[in-house]
Amino acid sequence: MAKIIVVTSGKGGVGKTTSSAAIATGLALAGHKTVVIDFDVGLRNLDLIMGCERRVVYDFVNVINKEATLNQALIKDKRTNNLYILPASQTRDKDALTMEGVQKVLDDLSKDYDFIICDSPAGIEQGAQMALYFADEAIVVTNPEVSSVRDSDRILGILQSKSMRAEKGQSVKEHLLLTRYNPERVATAEMLSVADVEEILAVPLLGVIPESEAVLKASNQGAPVILDTESNAGKAYSDAVKRLLGEEVPHRFLDVEKKGFFKRLLGGK
Amino acid sequence: MSQPCFRMKGTTLTSIVLEVVSFEPDEFESQLAEKIASAPLFFTRSSLILHLNAPLSATEFELLVALCRRHDLQPMAIKGVTEGLKSTINDLGMADISQSKISEKPLAENKPVEASVSQSQQAPAEAPAQVETVTHTVEVVKPAKIVARPVRSGQQVYAEGSDLVILGAVSEGAEILADGNIHVYGTLRGRALAGVKGNEQARIFCQNMEAELVSIAGRFVMQENIQNKCWKKPAQAYLDADALLIEALS
Ligand SMILES: Nc1ncnc2c1ncn2[C@@H]1O[C@H](COP(=O)(O)OP(=O)(O)O)[C@@H](O)[C@H]1O
Ligand SMILES: [Mg+2]
Repeated sequence: MAKIIVVTSGKGGVGKTTSSAAIATGLALAGHKTVVIDFDVGLRNLDLIMGCERRVVYDFVNVINKEATLNQALIKDKRTNNLYILPASQTRDKDALTMEGVQKVLDDLSKDYDFIICDSPAGIEQGAQMALYFADEAIVVTNPEVSSVRDSDRILGILQSKSMRAEKGQSVKEHLLLTRYNPERVATAEMLSVADVEEILAVPLLGVIPESEAVLKASNQGAPVILDTESNAGKAYSDAVKRLLGEEVPHRFLDVEKKGFFKRLLGGK
Repeated sequence: MSQPCFRMKGTTLTSIVLEVVSFEPDEFESQLAEKIASAPLFFTRSSLILHLNAPLSATEFELLVALCRRHDLQPMAIKGVTEGLKSTINDLGMADISQSKISEKPLAENKPVEASVSQSQQAPAEAPAQVETVTHTVEVVKPAKIVARPVRSGQQVYAEGSDLVILGAVSEGAEILADGNIHVYGTLRGRALAGVKGNEQARIFCQNMEAELVSIAGRFVMQENIQNKCWKKPAQAYLDADALLIEALS
């Protein structure tokens, strides 16, 4: 039986797709058979980040409409073993997903996979609710700013009232993933600190991903940033995956980096 | 927009109905005094509905009301045989509720209980003092509604007919309501409304006050007027003679 994890946020553009790709890749690298599903019907972003956009023939909606089998639609990742992508359709409208259809796909995938990662669309409406409905766990992606924290709070409320587990009186395990964290801007009070966000949301911290140019570079190359093992963002995602698998790993990249002696001497960045 | 000067609310009131079977002033007063002596605390300042079984003249009725008031009862309404008493009832500031539907239950009169007289040996060895116990039914309190999860933005929790206890935080954009008191053991950042059906005794207690709005029995205070008081401190809110007070719990 697979563990179903939704990557959600309420607000758009906070790093859900970036995080879904990185975490799915990290789980696969750790030896777990993993599939990542793009629930953002109409936008289709995940396949770009995963670098498999040219290999998309059938998509999630085709499978639901029985126009293709699951195996025809699943794309095996080229770089990472154990990793599969179920892309969304770019052309269909948002209502193309049905609850029964999604349930059938998840049930079928559950038999073969260890982890199912659901990349949620933005918002708190039907599309986002569909993505989180069957989840066992939720990674709530939040940026350190007031509007993002507020939207995360809303989605947490929906998670604990409108998901299948909530309807059965069970709870969905929550993880907070703080992304695009910039210690310099926290120091000047332009951004909320880790402690501020933790205090408001009261959800266990899965990781803090620093704002990093490596993320843009990775998406241009179509390779999840976790594969860039030299970058801070890549390292932070690796740590987060370890924590998701139950390891205790200290948080890093939380403080303003002190410039080294030579850098200071040369006035470099 | 100016503040409303009043609010209309419905209420139910428990009061005693004094059924007047016959009225002979001296006899009536001595029986009344005896009755009250049997349970002074129960009867003192009770609001009273007079139920006339026999017709009384205006003068007799005035006397009846005066006797009741002398014994600290507060007749406020009258029913039964009220013909010819209309103007007197009005003059006395009472209401004729003969037309209203009210349900009456006899006050249970238990068997007399022997009171133990221990402190005074001087008490004559006559018949032991007899105490009549008056029992009246009291509504059993409905248990508080306890919420163990944080109340998130967009969520609403209502404790109908009871207190509300929130063990976690109440987010900005969340709303908690109770007919009784509200206790928040986390941070209160949202809106809290206690005594929503008009209970002016209701209070709000919280571990950390950062509320958007606090309201008791319809009166409310907004965040800008909370911030200068006990912001980010343990606090309580309650009504004092119509004013909603918020103060730090120390
Ligand atoms: N840690 C990060 N550092 C810098 N840019 C980031 C980071 N995470 C995400 N981004 C950028 O933010 C934008 C939105 O990211 P995306 O993952 O598509 O968000 P969502 O799926 O929530 O809409 C993208 O341009 C992405 O490159
Ligand atoms: Mg996305």
